[in-house]
Amino acid sequence: MKKGEVSNQKTGVWQASLFVLALILLAAGLVFSVMAAITFGNADISLKDVYSVVGCEVLKMKRFSGFSEGSVHDVVWLIRFPRVVLALAVGMGLSVCGVVMQAIVKNPLADPYILGVSSGASLGATLAILLRIGSIFGGNFVGVMAFVGAMITSFMVMAIANMGGRANAGKLILAGTAVSSVCSAFSSFIIFMVNDNNATAEVMRWTMGSLSGADWSRAAVIFPVVLASTLIFWTQYRSLNLMLLGDEVSITLGTNLHKSRTAYLILSSVIVGAAVYAAGMIGFVGLVIPHVIRILFGTDHKRLIPLSALLGSIFLIWADVASRIILKNAEMPIGILVSLIGAPCFIYLLVKRSYGFGGGRS
Amino acid sequence: MNILSEDIRLSYDSAEILKGASVRAADREFVGLIGPNGSGKSTLLKCIYRVLRPDVGCVYLDGEPLSGLSYKESARRMAVVAQHNYYNFDFSVREVVLMGRSPHKRAMERDNARDYAIVEEALKKVGMLAFADRNFSTLSGGEQQRVILARALAQQTPCLILDEPTNHLDITHQLQLLRIVKALDITVIAAIHDLNMAAMFCDRIYVLQEGQIVGQGAPGEVLTREMIQKIYHVNSETVKDSRGRTHILFI
Repeated sequence: MKKGEVSNQKTGVWQASLFVLALILLAAGLVFSVMAAITFGNADISLKDVYSVVGCEVLKMKRFSGFSEGSVHDVVWLIRFPRVVLALAVGMGLSVCGVVMQAIVKNPLADPYILGVSSGASLGATLAILLRIGSIFGGNFVGVMAFVGAMITSFMVMAIANMGGRANAGKLILAGTAVSSVCSAFSSFIIFMVNDNNATAEVMRWTMGSLSGADWSRAAVIFPVVLASTLIFWTQYRSLNLMLLGDEVSITLGTNLHKSRTAYLILSSVIVGAAVYAAGMIGFVGLVIPHVIRILFGTDHKRLIPLSALLGSIFLIWADVASRIILKNAEMPIGILVSLIGAPCFIYLLVKRSYGFGGGRS
Repeated sequence: MNILSEDIRLSYDSAEILKGASVRAADREFVGLIGPNGSGKSTLLKCIYRVLRPDVGCVYLDGEPLSGLSYKESARRMAVVAQHNYYNFDFSVREVVLMGRSPHKRAMERDNARDYAIVEEALKKVGMLAFADRNFSTLSGGEQQRVILARALAQQTPCLILDEPTNHLDITHQLQLLRIVKALDITVIAAIHDLNMAAMFCDRIYVLQEGQIVGQGAPGEVLTREMIQKIYHVNSETVKDSRGRTHILFI
């Protein structure tokens, strides 16, 4: 028995330090990714110039004051940098949303895209762009409408899935697909009726997903929103863990999840709204990233949330780099690229039935 | 800690499941709840552990009405081991038991060395320490049930509710689980199917039929031929062994 105890304590410590190590490595990886990603682009700018601009703008070093304006400065600081920051925020947001939605519906197949929340956000944005609905919300009204759309759809999907008995994975995914189709149909209908080429092009950009419209004014709103929401969700790790055990067990463990579930849905709608506003529809990130982290580090949300956030941002930064350089002289929409990777992973998860589809015991 | 449920009534739609059930467990008393399927045992227990809210009636912990306590507070006084524990996600055994510490934690508070020590202690008590880093869902039914008991122990409550915890367990594990609980020497209310198990462990037994308490008392007084005939419609004989314990033989 004694021997067992010692080895148990050791594995506990080992796991904890493994988590800290992973956290540090991923954080370092994120910094590296940001610094590397800004060197890629159509304009041919030397590494030295790129980092001189960074030195000037980020570190405020006098030595590089020559780079505080001009075309090199504009390309690096006004085009590339905000874009990388947005990619970071969107990747983080979608991954964390995936984790939270999976906890809410108690199934690892949930994701903002699959549950139709992204489509809802997209419909909200379409209404805003084409019909100027919601312009009373001020300058960022497209983003606000995306949030409203995301929130309405997430509550709608939950309500439909809960009709006539408790929600299970199958019902949720069907409800998500149905709501998503309705939203897409409405978006298409509006695009068809308005018949305005510029606006249609803009909406297309949304539905395929792209970060090409990035600028600091957007990044400055979206990055803090996503970061703050992620940190809030991290503090909620205990409730998120309990959520997976179900409502009854949670009550016997001292937490009534009814209110927190609603709060989490609203907060994740904020994130999805922000992500869709920044980059349009990008699917499957929230599905694949948490899955990878779960395989490596288990289900505990104390580890799952920060690690998914970091891995998700790194993943999306590089996906965006790839979408910029895969085609010569043109950009591939990042949504298409990510779906090409993500959809097969989704199918794999569906087929590997043991991973919690439905109620059977694995 | 004593528990009192007073005149609990509960209806689903038009069907009245509980028709005024009153149950009392004194400090450190092991109280059993028996009755046929559908008699309302689980429903009554769920009212006691707050998953269901009774239409009428109230549950008191040490004289305080349950509805006046926060969920955290009630989870610090009363832990629950119920029947179904199926999880879609892979938690390690240690993580499952550590969740038993959550009623003692504030929102942002971290798990400290003491929590881990309590978890180890609980796992040791149920004989599952060697499984601490195993995946919960890969364990057998009996092992899972012992881990859930360890989680309840980690809550360090003066009271424990058992909702048919020994279903699906073989006789070794039934006895083992109930012996562990008995040895805790805390207030226990347990729904038990097996009348011989009830006779063996309970200080007092309540008999529930169609949502009403139809009998109560020490096992020897309650588990009579007549009562068993009336409640379960089966013939039986009862015998006392050399230690004075009641045993039921079904004919």
